[in-house]
Amino acid sequence: MTGDSSFLRIANIDKTFDGDGKHHPSVKVIDNVSMHIKAGEFIVYLGPSGCGKTTLMRIVGGLESANTGAVYLDDKKVTGPDRKKGMVFQAYTSFPWLTVLENIRFGTRYRNDIDNATKEEISQHYLELVGLKDYANYYVNRISGGMRQRVAIARTLAAAPEILLMDEPFGALDAQTREFLQNQLLDINREERKTTIFVTHDVEEAVVLADRIFMFSARPARIIEEIKVADHITGERDLATKETEAFFHLRNHVRDLMRQQARKTEELAQQELQTTIAQTN
Amino acid sequence: MKLRDLFIYRGTSNTRVDVVLAIFAFIGFIGLWYVIASFEIVSQRYLPVPWQVVTALYTMLTEQKFIEDIWISVARVWGAFLLSAVMAIPFGIWMSSYRIVGTLTEPIVDFIRYLPVPALVPLLIIWFGIGESSKIAVLWMGTFFQLVLLISDDAKRVPREFIETGFTLGAKPWQITWDIVNREMLPKTIDNLRITLGWCWTYIIIAEIVAANSGIGHAIWSARRFVKTPEVMAGILTIGIIGLLTDQAIRLIHRRMFRYL
Repeated sequence: MTGDSSFLRIANIDKTFDGDGKHHPSVKVIDNVSMHIKAGEFIVYLGPSGCGKTTLMRIVGGLESANTGAVYLDDKKVTGPDRKKGMVFQAYTSFPWLTVLENIRFGTRYRNDIDNATKEEISQHYLELVGLKDYANYYVNRISGGMRQRVAIARTLAAAPEILLMDEPFGALDAQTREFLQNQLLDINREERKTTIFVTHDVEEAVVLADRIFMFSARPARIIEEIKVADHITGERDLATKETEAFFHLRNHVRDLMRQQARKTEELAQQELQTTIAQTN
Repeated sequence: MKLRDLFIYRGTSNTRVDVVLAIFAFIGFIGLWYVIASFEIVSQRYLPVPWQVVTALYTMLTEQKFIEDIWISVARVWGAFLLSAVMAIPFGIWMSSYRIVGTLTEPIVDFIRYLPVPALVPLLIIWFGIGESSKIAVLWMGTFFQLVLLISDDAKRVPREFIETGFTLGAKPWQITWDIVNREMLPKTIDNLRITLGWCWTYIIIAEIVAANSGIGHAIWSARRFVKTPEVMAGILTIGIIGLLTDQAIRLIHRRMFRYL
């Protein structure tokens, strides 16, 4: 299996969550998913809520194990979580007992590849990159949700991961903050060129950010279409990209796909509910 | 002062009003006591007037070596409390960290937790005699098992994302335990310790009443034999004051340590 030039290789992943044999049946969430990702690519996993896209990303991060198949990062099999696979969650994970700067510094805490002076330099660099220099000494529960996510992103980057995994990081934010952070993420990405997997169910977010979108089906997640956004929308991205014709067409296409799958998800939920009701009667 | 707020369901609080009311309540309480005692609604043999208690306390402190009793009780309480804490905190976190530890120990801990401490006193005296070790054992039995479960529950409540964040930043399990789990729950740990220290005072008096020839509990019990009600009440008052002062001190430390809360 070696000799492949792709940076991240996901090979035939299947995942089923075991039921308890009584009230909760076992649920298949991922159905034979494979993909190759090149270094520096920005990948978006798009799909309806609860389809299994987050689980797939967690498997890539080593936080969950697959039933069959494997993930190879730089030709090494992923067996568990570590500093190579940085993760930003939807929930706020910046530590409340630390200030903004201390949180970012925490990202360098377990690095033994650099000395303390370099750690400080890196922390300052990412503090500035996410635009929080003026808030360095604020405790994180004094700042806004959007700022907390920027802290989380900076902290993750300070750990120098090989791949950045983002699980609906802007999901809890209001529309304006969300756009602002999308724009900032584009800026960061231009500077860092970090291989990224970004999970979302927001179509516009997917199209504006992605080099490639993997569109997933309703549960269990299968890839139903791979959309090479970079082939359609060329040049630098920013919020103005959302006003272009190319964006418009691509968004409509992806939105239609998304609607189909969302409908299936609804139907699936109804079926399951009816099965449960039938069982309880 | 917005007194009206006091009567609104879940109305906003005002520190100044609260303090003034607390002082009023306290004065009212002493006043009521004074009235009942001085008009002998209850015989002064059973309920002395407040100043008699204060005088008794003064005499005890200056003439009867009560100060030594206080020190010995404080030493016993803090000794047992610290022993209990340094054992319960790591063990509780350990229980929450690995299923094997939790599953094996939780039923036993839960069982012992429900044993009433006074019922254990005779057994502990047989085992440890009437020296200092039996006092420590009583306090330890009464607090360790409670504290372990409180700590374990709080450790379980540390958000899973915090722990996963630790892993993805390259931390080892022991580093996550120390740098993240322990740190996240620390304010709650300090609160639990404060409450545990209160229990220690309950148990020390029981232990000292049953078998001791020193300590506040012993002093109270000796005074009872000669129906020296003012001295009994002075002893109780002393415990109350020590408890109140320690509690306030820990609260102050809590506020200072955890400014982010």
